[in-house]
Amino acid sequence: MDLLELWAIFGPGVAGAVFGAGWWIWLDAVVCSLVTVPFLHYLPGIFASFAALMFNCVRKEDIDYSPYDEGEWRLKLWLFIAYVVSFVSLAGSAGLLIQDSLDKSAPSVWTGVAGVLQCVFVLISGLVYWTSHPE
Amino acid sequence: MADLPGYLRACLNTGKLASLAILVSGGIVLQILACALYNNWWPMLSVLTYVLLPMPLLFFAGSDDSIFSESDNSWVNFTKFLTGASTVGGIAIPSILKHAGVIGWGAFAMELSSYFVFGMAIICYLWMSGDDDYSIL
Repeated sequence: MDLLELWAIFGPGVAGAVFGAGWWIWLDAVVCSLVTVPFLHYLPGIFASFAALMFNCVRKEDIDYSPYDEGEWRLKLWLFIAYVVSFVSLAGSAGLLIQDSLDKSAPSVWTGVAGVLQCVFVLISGLVYWTSHPE
Repeated sequence: MADLPGYLRACLNTGKLASLAILVSGGIVLQILACALYNNWWPMLSVLTYVLLPMPLLFFAGSDDSIFSESDNSWVNFTKFLTGASTVGGIAIPSILKHAGVIGWGAFAMELSSYFVFGMAIICYLWMSGDDDYSIL
């Protein structure tokens, strides 16, 4: 079997592992933080997980690339909203990292770094799950 | 191994089963040692991971070999996703405990060794369950 078939077999498992790694990194930051992490810092990870779930609700064969007919605009709007949510969560985690590095009473820089890593890993797991589905 | 006699093949298969049992026992011993040597039972949280690991396969996938084949069934892919997510917990829980200072390097090393010994036992079991040659003749 070739590499694409191996990716189709083991891709969902790799996606689950990357997803778990992202959330475990965030749990490490919360557990090892000296000050209480406010709930605002949890939101980028939650929204990144929600975005990964959103664009994996779409089946690939339903996406219409025809230049003639009216395409499935609801599907494309859904994917667009999923991408917007994912990028906003990435930007939010980067903003919280900058805030953690500047403010002394905020959680430490590792909390901000872990938040960015969590968003990146969760979105990568969504992409891995998406690309591992056979056409 | 077609040229070996039947009783020798049965003996070798029994040796495979014995080595699998030794691997599982070694994993359990390392897990207990990581807790008992330091009188610190927080690493027992990793046992939750070992309990959670086969549950997606038990509940969602059937008794076929769909875990190792390409499938467009959503339940099979979800099973693989949950199995991968549970696998990371076995490495993440000792790492977080070490980072928080709850356990030391010795317990951390024994935890990871226990995890990899269990993982090797599971892989050997999945590899062994493909064989059917237990006939003596």
